[in-house]
Amino acid sequence: MVCIPKLREGKIMRGLKSFLRYHILEPLKILASDKRALVGLSIVIFYVLMVAVGRLFIPLDLTPHREKRYLGPSWEHPLGTDFAGRDILAQIVHGGRDVLPVAFLTGFVTVAIGTAIGITSGYVGGKLDLAITTFIDIFLTIPGFPLLMVVAVWLLQSGIPINIFIIACVLSITAWAGLARSVRAQVLSIREEAFIEAARCLGLSRFHIVFNEILPNVMPYIAINFMLSSVSAIYSYTGLQALGLIPYEPGTWGAMINMAQAYVGTITGTGCWYVLAPSITIIVLQVGLVFLSQGIDKIFNPRLRER
Amino acid sequence: MTTPLVKAEKVSKIFPVGSMFGAKKYIKAVDGIDLEIGENEILALVGESGCGKSTLGRLMLALLKPSSGSVSYYINHKYKDVWSLKGKEFREYRRNAQLIPQDPYSTLNPMKKVISALTPPLLRYKIARNRREARKMAAELLEIVGLSPPEDFLERFPCRLSGGQLQRIAIARAISVKPKFIVADEAVSMLDASLRIEILNLLLNIRKSLKTAYLFITHDLAIARYFARNERIAIMYLGNIVEIGRTEEIIQNPLHPYTQTLLATVPIPDPKLARKRELPKLRSMEIPSLISPPPGCKFNTRCPYAESICEKKVPELREVKGRLVACHLF
Amino acid sequence: MKWIIKRTATALLTVYIVITITFFLIRLLPGSFIEMMIYYYMTQYGMSEIEAEEMVYSLYGIAPKKPVWEQYIDYICGLLRGDWGKCYITGIPVLEALFVGLPWTVFLLSISMTISFALGVGLGILMAYRRGGILDNASSVFASISRATPNFILGLLLLYFLTIYYPIFPSRGSYDISIKPGFTLEFISSVLYHSFLPIMAYVITSVGGWMLAMRGSAIRVLGEDYVIAAEARGLKSGRIARTYVGRNAILPLFASFAISLGYMFGGSVFIETYFAYNGIGHIIGLAMSWRDYPLIQGGFLLITLAVVLSNFIADLLYGKLDPRVRRGGMYS
Repeated sequence: MVCIPKLREGKIMRGLKSFLRYHILEPLKILASDKRALVGLSIVIFYVLMVAVGRLFIPLDLTPHREKRYLGPSWEHPLGTDFAGRDILAQIVHGGRDVLPVAFLTGFVTVAIGTAIGITSGYVGGKLDLAITTFIDIFLTIPGFPLLMVVAVWLLQSGIPINIFIIACVLSITAWAGLARSVRAQVLSIREEAFIEAARCLGLSRFHIVFNEILPNVMPYIAINFMLSSVSAIYSYTGLQALGLIPYEPGTWGAMINMAQAYVGTITGTGCWYVLAPSITIIVLQVGLVFLSQGIDKIFNPRLRER
Repeated sequence: MTTPLVKAEKVSKIFPVGSMFGAKKYIKAVDGIDLEIGENEILALVGESGCGKSTLGRLMLALLKPSSGSVSYYINHKYKDVWSLKGKEFREYRRNAQLIPQDPYSTLNPMKKVISALTPPLLRYKIARNRREARKMAAELLEIVGLSPPEDFLERFPCRLSGGQLQRIAIARAISVKPKFIVADEAVSMLDASLRIEILNLLLNIRKSLKTAYLFITHDLAIARYFARNERIAIMYLGNIVEIGRTEEIIQNPLHPYTQTLLATVPIPDPKLARKRELPKLRSMEIPSLISPPPGCKFNTRCPYAESICEKKVPELREVKGRLVACHLF
Repeated sequence: MKWIIKRTATALLTVYIVITITFFLIRLLPGSFIEMMIYYYMTQYGMSEIEAEEMVYSLYGIAPKKPVWEQYIDYICGLLRGDWGKCYITGIPVLEALFVGLPWTVFLLSISMTISFALGVGLGILMAYRRGGILDNASSVFASISRATPNFILGLLLLYFLTIYYPIFPSRGSYDISIKPGFTLEFISSVLYHSFLPIMAYVITSVGGWMLAMRGSAIRVLGEDYVIAAEARGLKSGRIARTYVGRNAILPLFASFAISLGYMFGGSVFIETYFAYNGIGHIIGLAMSWRDYPLIQGGFLLITLAVVLSNFIADLLYGKLDPRVRRGGMYS
C-alpha cells in the first residue's frame, strides 16, 4: 500500500488522492495480476525512461574513429562499436528519440480518427454509413506499406517540412481504417442494448449517449488498438528509415538498420553487435507493446476483473 | 376517470420479418388499439408472451413510432401527437414518460458506476445545479428505493450488484425526474419471488408520493391483481385488447372467453378449490402465428363459444356491464 | 447475386481510386521538381529546352498544354493499352520492367503464405486443444514475439547471421547465375536454396499471427453446442477436430488471409532488397532510391491490382465456403 503523507486534507488533496487511486494505482494493481501485461508494462516504461532521460547520462559522440571499428563489447563500449568506431550503446539510448514520439503520436491520431469515423458511421447509420463503409473498405484493400512508400517519396520531393506531426498523419493514413470498421461494428451492436434505450427514454442528449454511454463500452478496443497502432507505426517508421526514404539523423535506430544493411558484407565477427543491437532493441519494444495491449483489456472492462 | 394523460388512438405497429430473399412478411404486434391512461391512475396490461404488450408500452413512451394511429399527450391544455412535439414541449413529455424495464442486468451501462447512471438526468433537467448536489440527490433516491446506506452503492459497478438491487436502481433512475407517467414493463418478472412484493409495494408508495400514473405490464394475473386493485386492468391477446375494466369486476366475473382462460390457469393453493374449478374447454392449444393471424376474432380458433360470425367479423370493444369487452357474445 | 455485384463494384472503385491517386500525385509535385528534371536533361544530355521539356513530359505523361481532364483520359487510356510510361533511368517500359520481377515475387509470397498459414493453423488448433498447458503458454509467447517482430529486421538478422557470419546460405540473387534457367534439377534446387532465407523471414514473422488467430477461433468453436453434441455422439476426436472444429474455426481467418497479402507485398520491398532477390519488391526499392517516378507509380499500381484481385477472389471463395454470407446474414 502506498502511504500518502498527511498533508492538509483540503479539496485539492482529496481530488489528487482519488485521481491517483482511480486512474493510476488501480489500473496498476489490475495489470500486476497478469504476468504478461506486467512484463509489457515494464518494458514500455523502461524504454520511455531510456529515451527521455537516458540521454542525460550517456553522451552521444558521433565523431568517427576508424581505428575502432566493430569492436566487441567491452567496459568502455558495452555494446561494441559501429562501422565508424562509435559507441553503439550511446546510439541505442539516443536512437529512440524520434521513433517513440512518432509511434505514440501516430497511435493517438489513428485512434482518434478511426474512433470518430467509426462511431459516427455506426450511430448515424443510413446513407452516411453506407458511404463511409465503402470508403473504409477501399482503404483497407489498398496495400498499406506501398502506399506509404509512395507518399513518403512524394513528401520528400514536395518540400513540405517534415516534422513528427506530418509523419504521424502520413503513417495514420492506412491504419485508421481497420479500427474504424471494428468500432462501427461495436457501435452497431451497442446501439441495441437496453441501457441505451433507457438513456433515450430519460431524454439524454445524443452527445451524451455517444460520449458517455457508448464510448466507455468501446474503450477497451480503443486502448488495445492504440498499442497496436503504435506497433505498426514503429514498423513503418523504422522501415521507411531503413530504406532511406525518410530523412533521419545518424544514430537513430532506423539509421542503424539502414547502415547495417548497407555494410552487411563488410561486418566482421565482433561487428555483429551492430546488427544485433538495433534489431533486438526494436523487437523487444514491439513485444512489450503487444504484451501490454493484451493486458489492457482488463483495465477498461470491469467485468473481466477478478476480485 | 380523471383527465387522460396519455392517449393511444387506433395505434398499430408492424414489424417486417424474414430474410432478404423471399417474400417479405410482417408481424402486426399491435393492432389498432385505443387506450387512455389518466393522471395518477394504474392500468395493468395483462397478456401472454408475444401478445404485443411490451410493444404497446414502448409506443406510449415514444420509443417506437406507430405504423398507424397516434399517441397523444396532454400538454398546455391540449392533446398533441407526441411525434409532433418539439423543443420545450417535447422535453416536458420526455421527462414525464419513463420506463422501468424488465431486465435489471442489462438496463444499466456495465461500464459506468451507479452514480454515473443516476446523475445525468438530474443535471440535464437542471433538477440539481451541480455535481455535488446531484450526488446528494442520487443518495436520497437510493434511500427512497431502499438501498441503504447509499454511499455503499454509489461507487459500485453494476456487475457487483444483485438483480433486486439493480432493479431498485433502475426505479430510482426512473423517478429521479419525477415523471407523471411510468411504464413498468414486466418490472418484477426477473426477480426472485420473495422480492416481488417488496418492489411492488415500493412502486405503489412512489405513486402515493409522486402521484404517478402507471401502465403496469405483466403476464402474471396474480401480480396484476395485487398491483391494480381498485384500479383498472386490460387483457391483451395477439395485438388486441379483448377486455378492459375495473380489476375486481373482471377478476370476479370475467366475460371474455380468453380472460376466463387466463383466470382459470392461475394456480390456486387450496387443492380442494382447485379441483372444483372448471377449466374452459379450449378448442386448440396452439397459439396462432402472428404472421398470419386468424380472420375475424383472433381467438376464434381456440374459443369454446365460437360461432360462424367470429370467423368473419372482428369484434369491437363494446360496453357491457360497466366495462369494455370485444366479443360477439355480447 | 446482389452481393457479388457489390464486391465487383467496390473492387473496381478501389482500382480507379488508386489510379487517380497516382495520377494526381505527380501533378501535385511542385513545379520546381519538373523544372529540375528539365534542367537535368538539358545539362546531362545537352538537349535544348524544348526537347528536354518534351522528354520529361512524355516520361511522366504530363502535357501542361492540354487541359487536365484530357490528360487524365489519356493517362487512363495509356494504362489500359499497356503503356505505363518508361523508366526514368533506363528508358525501359515500366510494365516490362515490372513483369520481370513479378513471377519471382509471386513465387516467394505464395510459398511463404501457404507455409505460414498451414503451420499457424495447425499449431493454433493444437494450442486450443491443449489450452492452458505448457505447449500453449510457450507457443503463445512465441507467437506474440513473432507477431511483434518486424519482418525486415528478421530479414536483416537472417541475412547477416546465416550468410555472412555462418555462410550457410547464399546472400544474393534468386538463383545461381551460372546455371541456365530451365526445369532442371540443378536450377530448381538452386532456386530453392536461394529462396530459403527470404521464405524463412516471411514465415517466422507471420506464423505467430495465424497461430493466435486460429487458437482464438478454435477455442470459441470448441465451446459451441454442436461440437459437444458431436463428442456426445461418439465421433472420433480426430474427425471432430478436422471436420467440425477445423472447418468452422478457419472461416473467419480467410478474410484476414486475403488482407495479409497486402502486408506481405509491403514487406517484400525489404526482404527482396536485402537478399538481392529480383522480384517486384526489389525493383520498387531501386526505383525509390533512384526516385524513378514512373516506375514507382507503375509498381504501386501493379501491387494494388494484385491485392485487389486476390481480395476479390478470396471474397468469392469465402462466399462459396460460408453459406451464411450468401444468404446475406450478418456479413453484408
